[in-house]
Amino acid sequence: MITLLLAHLGSSLICLIPGRRSARWALPLAAVAPAVTFGWLVSQSSAVLHGHYPTTTITWVAELGLTISLRLDGLGLLMGLIVSGIGTLVLLYSTSYFGKRDDLGRLAGLLVGFAGAMLGIVWADGLLTLFVFWELTSITSFLLIGFEDRSATARSAAQRAFLVTGGGGLALLAGLILLGQAGDTTSISQLLADPPSGTVVTVALVLVLMGALTKSAQFPFHFWLPGAMAAPTPVSAYLHSATMVKAGLVVVARFAPVFAPVGPWRWLVVSAGLASLVIGGFRAMRQADAKLALAHGTVSQLGFMMVLLGLGTPATTYAGMAMLLAHALFKAALFLSVGVVDHSAGTRDMRRLRGLLRSLPVAAGMIIVASASMAAIPPTFGFVAKEKALDSLLDPGVGLVGWVALVGIVLGSVLTVAYTIRIAVGLLGNDAPGVPAADGRAAVVETPVGPSSLHRPSAGFLAAPVLLAALSVVFGLAADPVGHWLAEAAASIDPASASGSLHLWTGINTPLVLSSLIILGGWAVWWTTVAATRTMDAPYSLATRLYDHAYDALLAGARRLTVATQSGSLPFYVGVVLTTVAAAMATALIAGASQSITDVKWFNSALEAPLVALTALMALAVIAAKQRFTAAVLLGGSGYLLAIVYLLQGAPDLAITQFLVETLTIVVFLLALARLPRDFSPAPPWAPAWVRIGISVAVGVTVAAFALGASHARTAPSVGEDYIALSEPAAGGRNVVNVILVDFRGFDTLGEITVLAVAGAGVVNLVRSARRQQRRKQLADGVELEDRSGRPSEVWR
Amino acid sequence: MNDLLPLAIVIPLAGAAVSLLAIRSRATQRVVAILCAVATTAIAVTIVVHVDRNGTATAAMGGWPGSIAINLVADRFSALMLTVGSTMLLAVLLYAIGQRADDERSRWYHPAYLVLTAGVSGAFLAGDLFNLFVFFEVLLMASYVLLTLEGTDGQIRSGTTYVVLNVVESMVLVTGVALIFAATGTLNMAELPERLAALPDGIRLGLNLLLLIAFGLKAAVFPLFSWLPDSYPAAPSPVSAVFAGLLTKIGVYAIVRTQTLLFPETNRTLLLVVAGLTMAIGVFGAIAQSDMKRILSFHIISQIGYMVMGVALGGVAAISATIFYMLHHIPVKTSLFLVEGIVERDTGSSTLDKVSGLARRSGWLAALFLIPALSLAGLPPFSGFLGKLGVVSVALDQRSWWIVAVALAVSLMTLVSMLKIFNGAFWGDPMPSQVTAGRTGVLRHHPLMSGVTVAVVTGTLAIALFAGPLYRFCERAAFDVTNTASYTAAVIR
Repeated sequence: MITLLLAHLGSSLICLIPGRRSARWALPLAAVAPAVTFGWLVSQSSAVLHGHYPTTTITWVAELGLTISLRLDGLGLLMGLIVSGIGTLVLLYSTSYFGKRDDLGRLAGLLVGFAGAMLGIVWADGLLTLFVFWELTSITSFLLIGFEDRSATARSAAQRAFLVTGGGGLALLAGLILLGQAGDTTSISQLLADPPSGTVVTVALVLVLMGALTKSAQFPFHFWLPGAMAAPTPVSAYLHSATMVKAGLVVVARFAPVFAPVGPWRWLVVSAGLASLVIGGFRAMRQADAKLALAHGTVSQLGFMMVLLGLGTPATTYAGMAMLLAHALFKAALFLSVGVVDHSAGTRDMRRLRGLLRSLPVAAGMIIVASASMAAIPPTFGFVAKEKALDSLLDPGVGLVGWVALVGIVLGSVLTVAYTIRIAVGLLGNDAPGVPAADGRAAVVETPVGPSSLHRPSAGFLAAPVLLAALSVVFGLAADPVGHWLAEAAASIDPASASGSLHLWTGINTPLVLSSLIILGGWAVWWTTVAATRTMDAPYSLATRLYDHAYDALLAGARRLTVATQSGSLPFYVGVVLTTVAAAMATALIAGASQSITDVKWFNSALEAPLVALTALMALAVIAAKQRFTAAVLLGGSGYLLAIVYLLQGAPDLAITQFLVETLTIVVFLLALARLPRDFSPAPPWAPAWVRIGISVAVGVTVAAFALGASHARTAPSVGEDYIALSEPAAGGRNVVNVILVDFRGFDTLGEITVLAVAGAGVVNLVRSARRQQRRKQLADGVELEDRSGRPSEVWR
Repeated sequence: MNDLLPLAIVIPLAGAAVSLLAIRSRATQRVVAILCAVATTAIAVTIVVHVDRNGTATAAMGGWPGSIAINLVADRFSALMLTVGSTMLLAVLLYAIGQRADDERSRWYHPAYLVLTAGVSGAFLAGDLFNLFVFFEVLLMASYVLLTLEGTDGQIRSGTTYVVLNVVESMVLVTGVALIFAATGTLNMAELPERLAALPDGIRLGLNLLLLIAFGLKAAVFPLFSWLPDSYPAAPSPVSAVFAGLLTKIGVYAIVRTQTLLFPETNRTLLLVVAGLTMAIGVFGAIAQSDMKRILSFHIISQIGYMVMGVALGGVAAISATIFYMLHHIPVKTSLFLVEGIVERDTGSSTLDKVSGLARRSGWLAALFLIPALSLAGLPPFSGFLGKLGVVSVALDQRSWWIVAVALAVSLMTLVSMLKIFNGAFWGDPMPSQVTAGRTGVLRHHPLMSGVTVAVVTGTLAIALFAGPLYRFCERAAFDVTNTASYTAAVIR
């Protein structure tokens, strides 16, 4: 199995890497891997149906419980056949669908890459394996929806789809991790065999459902799917009807037999599923674009299957499996047929198409057959599956939620029949309903496309949809063996559903009566609304608008927040840092740092008191100074006074250093001040004096108090004593400060020298570049070379 | 073996000196710089292999006993960071030469860059708190020179913000270091754990907070982050690439080191809150921008949040996730800036309004962007997913629901901003002015820059592919880091 997935990855890369050169051979080449997979699955099927599930595991990161572990069970077999079978057909179909384009290598590579990832989802046994492939399909789906990246609609639709499914994916990730932790396992099959319970598990399952609902485009996350129709039709047929949107169903189908009774599971899936069923149904009736109508129909059908598979009783699970197969066949056939129509007639607008029955008889036939299957009209497989579904819902034994599901499904199916008729008639009817006469929208409708303006599709182009449509009938006629096969496949997710069976004719019973009523009701709904001309504006719905509003609000909010925090004002930033320091020190003092301050010795000598007072006075004078020059001199003065304090404390070296530094600083100041304005620039308006003074005093007081506490807290001896002891005997120097600087801690000195050297280099560089820019400015002869990011001095605002 | 440790610092320093002397010859400067960077990387690799086999390596500078000397210490964590760091420095150096960032206007590029290299090695290897401070200063000065290399108004403006805030940070750090010395009588990181443990709670808390503020500012965590987005985007691309990838992570390294070694028994709820806020504020900043470089700069902040989250959660599992996160993040972030550099070089802009349709001109470039971008957003199968999975798993295991919610929401918003770049710059119609440039690939015009970018992106893929053994290494490193006794025993024999 790993080999097959790697083959998909490999062929994906082979198609992607050479870029434009691969355009011609990429599509057929890409079909090889899915075709081989299909063959392998067929060869494995009898073993799998007898309960021998091939497994394989590669450990990726053991510490995180991350493995790539695969297991081919019945559901994996069914879905694998759908994924690889339809994948092969779609790739072959694409060779005819697309004319000569130079980006088909990209398309083929992404499609086959997607096929591999999708196989990974349906075969995944590792909890995190599932997530890895899940997100891979989201990524490839994003790139495929945005395939026509010159269209802004396609770009935003791609992004919307990615963000919705990606967001759901994150919920899924959290859910899967929690399930793994609760069940102490990394494997889905082990988790289901020995299910954990508790609040955490309930939370986890809701999270998993969130993932499944987003991926399967269920209400309220359904809106991304119609938008995804911006992708080329083969992509829509494959990803957004037959396979990827079923990923959520696959997860639900696996978990439901075990976890459906837990917490709100059933109510969640049933309400989301029914809402999608109904909303999708209504929307599908109001589209002019046949492909969009089908897309809304897909939302609706996915809702139907979500209800069935989510209820998790043996009968509904079995019926759900049958629906999975039926839907994949008829929906892919319909999409591909619409693609043929679009290709031949140049439009998918049902208001413009005329006389397809005569001009495209094969395509028209396929549309009729597949529509019949979608509307559950005998003898198609869609009918057989829906009979089973109704039957399974008649007595699900899950209480009220089961009855709600039944009523909802019957009503939703009426809509299904109605929109199916509408689409079929819209595509094929000679006098298409919905052509407005005096409506304002009539202007949109251009000249009808009749038989004369068509060109006929080739046989190869038609092969894929014909095969799929034919299977819809063949499986319907051969319902018994197919039903037997499905029962054995379904047994892998719920052993109790092994007894399920499918029949084309089950006698006159409740499901049949219901089916007839649904078809009649659907026809009636269609008939009463046939003249309704209201069509919806492309893929935009309330949910899409809400999403876009939320997205815009997020961007606007982010912008406001950033403008507020990122003011570009350096004094503000410094204020924030200093406030943080003061708050931290205050916290420490409150937490007891002040307790270690005992018997403080205020003075060492009588001279200190006036010295310190004078220093403080000078510091205050610095603040009061209005001119830069005065402030610099006063600052130097307080520095000199501090040096005297050092001297009194018995540190002549330090005092001398301080004197030198102060002198040098004042000299540099004076040199620089000559080129600066005389007065300080005014303080920024947001920081009145009391704020600045407050922050400064808070920092000074808290840091000083904490410093006092910290220095009183020491009990251990200082390393300084070792230095003094070792200085003369071991290092051979009588001045311990010198020895520290050049020997004990000489390495620090090396670093500090480097700092000075680099700082010097930086200054030289700045001076030179300033000169260079001046020269360039002169050369540019008056042309202002203003930097667009503003003048350097603006940071002081 | 132990003699190799100082060489990782001394070789680039000596190279810087030679480079200064050869300031008139760009060829000599280049040769010297490349030789030194290669040598440093080779030393780092040797150290990491040796340390993994034989345990922590130490070097006492000046040959004094371990308790008196300044020690250089390489355990698995610092050796790993040293390796990743010096590899990135080498890669970006080659890229910069390809971009001619070292042209005649900026002769100071090579000396400053080599000093930066020495500073990075020193910061990772320092086993003494004051020595750590010194190397932070070395880094600061060297990075300041690099930031203002071209001396344009914009660079001086952002350089001012950068240097002033970082000098404030130095003040806080040196205060913290001085007070730690006052309270314990030593700066030796092997002796400190025991002495700090003996201090009263309030004092220990205050010292810890001082260090956290200082390193937090370096790492750009909430609320000390503002300097970063105001300064990084102004730097030349190869410079911002190495800043973005490496410098903030040195702050994170220092946080991890001090939190685990010096203050192991601390309530880190506050730090967890800081982590959440850092993630959120960074990503909000990112989605508000419409310039590639600025978006990417805000993401540095947001991503730091994940690493701090790992530290705040604590324990071997969380620390190993943090270490892996750092290991993955450094090359990913670097490569994003490298791609940005190619875009800017080719189109003359990094603003999304002015760049469009790049994918049509070079699918390769699009792939080179998309891989690290999706990795940054934490999507599988890329390395970022593994890092995120690590921290999120631990948080879920500890039932810290809110931080998980924040972390996941932030990763979705990361995706939003990455898609914004991809949608804006790579999809759509190529700009008319760029179409005339012909259909030949963008990458072929800039062979050295492209080569380096491809190599770094391949490196990130390799990190994902070989995540199993790498993660095991990170776990061993985390075990080293959380085991204070082994650190002390290695230094003071």
